[in-house]
Amino acid sequence: MTFEMGEETREVQGTWDISTYKYLIDGAGMKLLVDSMKEKKIRGIKCPQCETVYVPGPTFCRKCYIDIDEVVEIGETGVVMSYAVEMADVRGNPLEEFRLTAMIKLDGADTWIIGTISGMDWHDARIGMRVKAFWVDEPVGSLADIDRFEAI
Amino acid sequence: MQRDIAIVAQAQVMTDSLDIPRERMLFDLVKGLFDKVGITRHDIDGFVLNSNDFEVGHTIANVFEDTPCGAYMKDETHVEADGMWAAQYTTMRLLSGNYDTALVVGNSSGASTFRPYLVMDYQLNPTYDRQLGILNELSTAALQARAYMAKYGAEEDDFNEIAARLLRNAALNPYAVRSKADATAGDVLASDYLYEPLRQLACYPFTDGACAMILASGKRAKELTDKPVWIKGMGNSVDTYYVGERDLATSKSARMAGERAYKLAGISNPAKQIDVAEVSAKFAYQEPIISEALGLFKEGSAGKVASKGLADLGGSMPVCPSGGGLGAYVFTANGLVRVAECVRQLKGEAGEAQVSGAKTALAHSQDGFCAQHNGVMVLSTEEG
Repeated sequence: MTFEMGEETREVQGTWDISTYKYLIDGAGMKLLVDSMKEKKIRGIKCPQCETVYVPGPTFCRKCYIDIDEVVEIGETGVVMSYAVEMADVRGNPLEEFRLTAMIKLDGADTWIIGTISGMDWHDARIGMRVKAFWVDEPVGSLADIDRFEAI
Repeated sequence: MQRDIAIVAQAQVMTDSLDIPRERMLFDLVKGLFDKVGITRHDIDGFVLNSNDFEVGHTIANVFEDTPCGAYMKDETHVEADGMWAAQYTTMRLLSGNYDTALVVGNSSGASTFRPYLVMDYQLNPTYDRQLGILNELSTAALQARAYMAKYGAEEDDFNEIAARLLRNAALNPYAVRSKADATAGDVLASDYLYEPLRQLACYPFTDGACAMILASGKRAKELTDKPVWIKGMGNSVDTYYVGERDLATSKSARMAGERAYKLAGISNPAKQIDVAEVSAKFAYQEPIISEALGLFKEGSAGKVASKGLADLGGSMPVCPSGGGLGAYVFTANGLVRVAECVRQLKGEAGEAQVSGAKTALAHSQDGFCAQHNGVMVLSTEEG
């Protein structure tokens, strides 16, 4: 006698409850950045060996593999290195208003920060465009203290 | 083996409450190791990193580990399973002849980011094991402990004796996060049951940490250290996933992993030829199952080994002079730590836990529920 196998595929419900994570961040480098943002300033860390200026600043140089701690003040203007237009969220829901997001190399920095560009039609955006940071009225020392960037 | 490969040096860091970022922990550990050996990151031609996505809290766990480990723009790859697989993979890369000096780093911040038992829950088969909510890391372990007790007439007290020895050994290990210099089986008995017959002190402590090791071809290793530790053999074996398809009282896969490593290393009588063993046991009861499968003791001899002190530091077959997984259990890196502890022994750097005259050591690793996957490496002070 053989067993009648029937359909091989069935569904059972499953969830993936991965609880809450506690991440330890690079306190020194990130603190430097958010503390400076509270004063509406942007500060990074410079490697004394290769002179790379990192924003946000890590506490060691990727290339030279040494500890770094030289604080440098960065401009609040910079250049768009690349941009993307968000038309749907990550779950696939279309957005009513498209969002222009960009990677911006601030004047005096070698690495790029992320930001949103407002006040322009995304069709007019271009790489190489100069932008300026606009702050929230009352910065609290958070990455959200930069409200937006605008073309200058 | 086709080419002589040796371990040059090792470094470890462990804590029960990490208070620095994982990246900083890795940078300090690896840079310290490079400084100790007198090399820079540019002397390493192959990087193998080892960590677990779940424990780290994001996928492709190694992406934040690369630059802290000095791998910026270098040849790097990642192993998600236990760290010994990373060490074996590193050895294979060196055996290929395409690499001469390699770094392997295993790490976990699971103790502070995520309860390790939960990680194991998500290793369960979602279509059967998870449906009833009965199986988890502790229940499967308790089932296995009970199976060994029933088969060989072992008692909970035998496991408590093993736990006490490991906690005493851990007191001699500067890296251990839990220890008790004068631990007795009574102390273990006095700790709560998590699942009967698993007492809290007979289960692994949640540990954050990392282990780094430099491996090299024979010629290069001798340039870098006066005391290379030679890799004589390695093997691994994986059992079926489902615990209901296995004989839990014994470990066929540990036995086969051992046989494969012994064959390469020319070991015919492990109990005689091996001077010290570092076995990966998450729970005290696992140590006899595994060390018996590896031929270090007779089958079902947990009680005798404990009462005669055979596995003690001064015993005939010292097992886990480091305190093993009961002193510290860095999830993911644990098997690599066992290798590192063998390196400390063979270099004569184990301090008060030194097994005098140790020349040949065995490191064991495991992965999965009830040690589904087992790995073994045989190490020696003697070349060739």
